[in-house]
Amino acid sequence: MTMMARGVERTGVRMAKNGLDILHIEDDSRTAADLQELMRATGDRVTWAPTGSEGLRQAGVGEFDVIILDRMLPDFDGLTVVRQLRDSGIGTPLLMLSALGRTIDRAEGLDAGADDYLAKPFEATELLARLRALHRRASGHTHSAVIIHGAFECHVKARTAFRAGKHLALSPKEFELFRYMIENAGDVVTREMLLRDVWKMGFDPQTNVVDVNIGRLRRKLEDGFATPALETIWGTGYRLLDGR
Amino acid sequence: MQRVSLLDSIFTRLVAWAIAVSIAVVLVLGWLVTTKFERMSQATVRWNVDADIRHMADILDARGQTELVAHIQESADLASPPGTGTHFLLVDAQGRRLAGDMTQWPTFPARGGQSGDIMLPGGRPAFARAVDLAPDMRLLAARETGWTMIQLNQIGLSFVAGGLFVVMAVGVAGYITARRLSSRVRVINAAFRDPEPDRLAALDTRQARMDEIAELTRHSSAALTRLDRLARSQRDTTDQIAHEMRTPLMHLDNRLVRAIQAQEQAGSGSGASSGGPDAETIERLIAARGEIRHVVATLESLLDIAHSEAQRGNPQGLAEVDLSALAANIADLYTASAEDTGHDFRLEAEEGVTMQGDEIQITRLVINLLDNAFKYVPPGGRVTLIVKRDAKGHPLIAVADNGPGVPPEYRETIFERFGRVQNGSGDPNGHSKGAGLGLALARAIAQRHGMELRLAPTVRGARFELRVQAGA
Repeated sequence: MTMMARGVERTGVRMAKNGLDILHIEDDSRTAADLQELMRATGDRVTWAPTGSEGLRQAGVGEFDVIILDRMLPDFDGLTVVRQLRDSGIGTPLLMLSALGRTIDRAEGLDAGADDYLAKPFEATELLARLRALHRRASGHTHSAVIIHGAFECHVKARTAFRAGKHLALSPKEFELFRYMIENAGDVVTREMLLRDVWKMGFDPQTNVVDVNIGRLRRKLEDGFATPALETIWGTGYRLLDGR
Repeated sequence: MQRVSLLDSIFTRLVAWAIAVSIAVVLVLGWLVTTKFERMSQATVRWNVDADIRHMADILDARGQTELVAHIQESADLASPPGTGTHFLLVDAQGRRLAGDMTQWPTFPARGGQSGDIMLPGGRPAFARAVDLAPDMRLLAARETGWTMIQLNQIGLSFVAGGLFVVMAVGVAGYITARRLSSRVRVINAAFRDPEPDRLAALDTRQARMDEIAELTRHSSAALTRLDRLARSQRDTTDQIAHEMRTPLMHLDNRLVRAIQAQEQAGSGSGASSGGPDAETIERLIAARGEIRHVVATLESLLDIAHSEAQRGNPQGLAEVDLSALAANIADLYTASAEDTGHDFRLEAEEGVTMQGDEIQITRLVINLLDNAFKYVPPGGRVTLIVKRDAKGHPLIAVADNGPGVPPEYRETIFERFGRVQNGSGDPNGHSKGAGLGLALARAIAQRHGMELRLAPTVRGARFELRVQAGA
């Protein structure tokens, strides 16, 4: 039990609150309705604001875990809304959802103060994974010395990994991957998130390079164990299991 | 962002020229005035000396030698201001002094004969002339020229002082004018460098005067505003196209997702009537979703190409990119998949190669080249990513392989939009992900960075090179 020293984090207890409170600023009612339906299934609560000014008002009075903001609104430009939010001291994690998906559009959104950027059309799992990762990052639980998830342990400083006490021989990049997975343990991480956060690439190369790298990591995590370590979410990403 | 240095500025050069010209003018004027003055003074002195001699000759003729001696003595005793004195020496045939204030016969300049500039005792310069008044009598008359020298010096000093003042005045006036002109030109330059709307507005308001720069400013402002409007309308149009296509595609995609879910639920429902999930329908629906992704990716690539082409030559948004680190990162991502596909993938990167660029775009360019190589090189082949400096020290990125190479007729067309090499065997795996836009986008990105992407001549395989444009 030496691993339970100071700085140890248990991913199981972190998401005590069920679901997220989400503010959705979006003029397209169909997109809003689709999102409502999606969020109802995952247990998140969505407040819909059809205009930029309504969104700003809601963001000022309500308590939200994350904000989803459409880039093109009838009254304001989405970029203006982010800037106004940030200028008035509202630091709620914000994901910009947009029909403009080019790298330049992403860069503009992030520069304006958005924390993440997702282009339409998007996979539902991608959106959910991003929202959870955003919320997790904002709650600031990611700087522990040792991260434990189920049978997995990640010693961040020593850069070593264990499963059920057995040392896992990972290459530096595989360790980075593992660390990212365990930091988001219990939630889905998508290919795009891995590319962006582990390889620092702001776009999807459209080839299976990420899957191959994950495949290698999976083999190392599962070597000598009977139970799977990673769950593949078809078409989008992966989830680290508890490994027991 | 190179700015014109002070030494290279045309305004500095103009001021320097003005100063040089005024110095030359002052020097020439000074020279003219002093020479003229010197000549006039010389002529006056000569005339006076001759008059003195004539006067003495008259006295000798009229009153005889005794009177002459007395008169000479009298004249010599007269006091005169310094530098203007009159001097005489009267000698007999043997050279003995008969009268005059001078004690010694002076030495005339070699070529002057019996007249010329002499030096009196005490270092006083003078002009002298000697004549034979009678067969046994010789008179020397001299006038000091020291005063002329003093006057010449005064004139010279005045010119130096006046000249200095003129040069300073020209310099100061030139500097002020140059600064004013230079600031007006700088506004135009700034507007061209970075055509922001407020800069353009600033151009418009600065038309108080009707001179050449005002005209240039007006024309620049009009041209830039037009360009800016064009760029904006291009951006707005592409944004609208993207928006109007992506949103309905998303709704379509959502319908497909629901259809897939409905099929799956129909399958999990135990009712005999449902007949289980229709695997074939689900597969088709998934394929349809794939098509949507493909349309979106194609649209995005086309818009990215348009954007890169519009940005060509614009240094805005470029920062120093460490190409060696970028290549290492990409190689790291590709090594595993290359091993899986049986390719021999190598990275040959020199340390610390950098360039001014947009990191995301350059990554994208390299990845497009690698994807292209892995697509066409059969398993067992070699793909090498090279980052180095060329002979001139410019950065160079290359992706080389030992695959089948590119047929001569396709060497240029592969860089065109949808200009893929058609391989005769068909494409059973549906290699359509790139939509034939990968190399077109790579070339557009290269050009946006002022570089060229070309297929280098090789004996075997293909070698794509990204390098600084020849002559750049």
